[in-house]
Amino acid sequence: MQTTSIIISRRTENWQALSSKFNKVGIVGLPPLAVIRFLNDRQIEIHDLDALLVTEDMDNASAYLPKVYCAILRTVVLNAISLRLDAIFIDVGPGKCDSAFHVAEILADTLPIPVIRTENLDNQGFGYPICLSNMALTQKFLDIVEGVKSADPRPAILPTCEPTAGYWGVPPRDFSILSLFPDSTHIYGWTRCMENKTPGAGDLEYHYNPDVPTVFFAQSFCAKTALARHLARLHPQALYLDVDVTAGSSAKAKIQAFLSLTEKRSC
Amino acid sequence: MLIGDFGTSYCKFLDLENPSAAPDIIPTAAVPDNTRVAMATGHNGKRFSDHYVNELIALARGGQQLIREKNFVLLDCGSRDIKFISYQNNRLKDMGWNAECGASMGFTIELLERYYNLDYCRLPVPDRPFSVTCGVLGMSSIFDAVVSGVAVEEAVARFVKGIAVNAFRFAGAPEVLFLSGGLCDNPLFVQSFPCRVIPLGRFVLLSGLAEEAKGQGFFM
Repeated sequence: MQTTSIIISRRTENWQALSSKFNKVGIVGLPPLAVIRFLNDRQIEIHDLDALLVTEDMDNASAYLPKVYCAILRTVVLNAISLRLDAIFIDVGPGKCDSAFHVAEILADTLPIPVIRTENLDNQGFGYPICLSNMALTQKFLDIVEGVKSADPRPAILPTCEPTAGYWGVPPRDFSILSLFPDSTHIYGWTRCMENKTPGAGDLEYHYNPDVPTVFFAQSFCAKTALARHLARLHPQALYLDVDVTAGSSAKAKIQAFLSLTEKRSC
Repeated sequence: MLIGDFGTSYCKFLDLENPSAAPDIIPTAAVPDNTRVAMATGHNGKRFSDHYVNELIALARGGQQLIREKNFVLLDCGSRDIKFISYQNNRLKDMGWNAECGASMGFTIELLERYYNLDYCRLPVPDRPFSVTCGVLGMSSIFDAVVSGVAVEEAVARFVKGIAVNAFRFAGAPEVLFLSGGLCDNPLFVQSFPCRVIPLGRFVLLSGLAEEAKGQGFFM
């Protein structure tokens, strides 16, 4: 059974009626599949505002959010104020975070466009073959992030590989850390929920493989830092890592050393 | 074949073809820019070699070489950072590197010794530490204490103990701590830890680098 509720913010009760004017919209987190399908059916261009889309100075977001705040949500605000969008769909349910709830209100008060808050309770899993595949970790993340704009499942069948390392967590704002991992890295945590199109699936997010050395990653100042640290404590071979806007040399050195010192040979 | 640990304040060199020779220590400021070594580690190491080994890997390899135990926690306290490696049953269990909030800590301890003309070999361990999160913030605690009438020696000793306690917690509060780095030679610092400390000296990273050199076929 699929349950989806859409919360309409106070200024956008009639967003579906307004949608005929939408050419380009932004999404934050994973809005429900019904919303993505609605946009896909009308060939409305979707921009994932969680990703790095503009080159403007991050400090431009500081007028609306504190500097000490989740770098992903600061990026969302920077994208939202820099791009000319017709509407924003922002998920604020269990599949995203409380901070997104507040950011939705800030964007609604700041921008002259509809800001539609959604609560994604989708529970029909699409699978997560990319997370289990053998290819560059950066490419895996690019494919998963790109996948949020489509309501269709990924057509290609990818062979599963034996994991030699694990990455647990959200897609990092700074993808440069991903190049440090071997191709045989399996992805866990919220990113796996993303590919599965069930962002609020707690059990899937909490899952890790105790037999695989795993980096538990969270963005600094994100509520998921608590979960990442907790799971890293439970895991027998784990590295907890939080990074703010960009990964410094010590963060990269920690990943490199951890992977080197726990190296498992691929089958 | 020369290998080097290029630290923030001091550089340590070892000639693998002359194993009986002791490592050389040179202040970083005195190392010529055109120095080249076969393999390097440390904060400044990438500038001096085509083969760089990350400091945490060098620390871990050094610990495995020097510590004959299945379970150990090894903490390296440097001039600008602290890092630790924890092994359980000969497997990496935990690790950490604090290069931001631990910034300038060893450097600050040395600076205070010179500024106040102190001798850490003669300072007793104080009953209580300052609560310091890093060297720079801890400095204000010293000045405040001195202004309120605490002797300079006592204030600096509390600061040093505060840094030792922080480093102890950062390493996971072990019962026994193996210590690496130049601060092994500072009795006030070593005795300020609230656990048993086994100092290994300042050449642990260099030992680990030598192991890496052998492992990578640089030196048989």
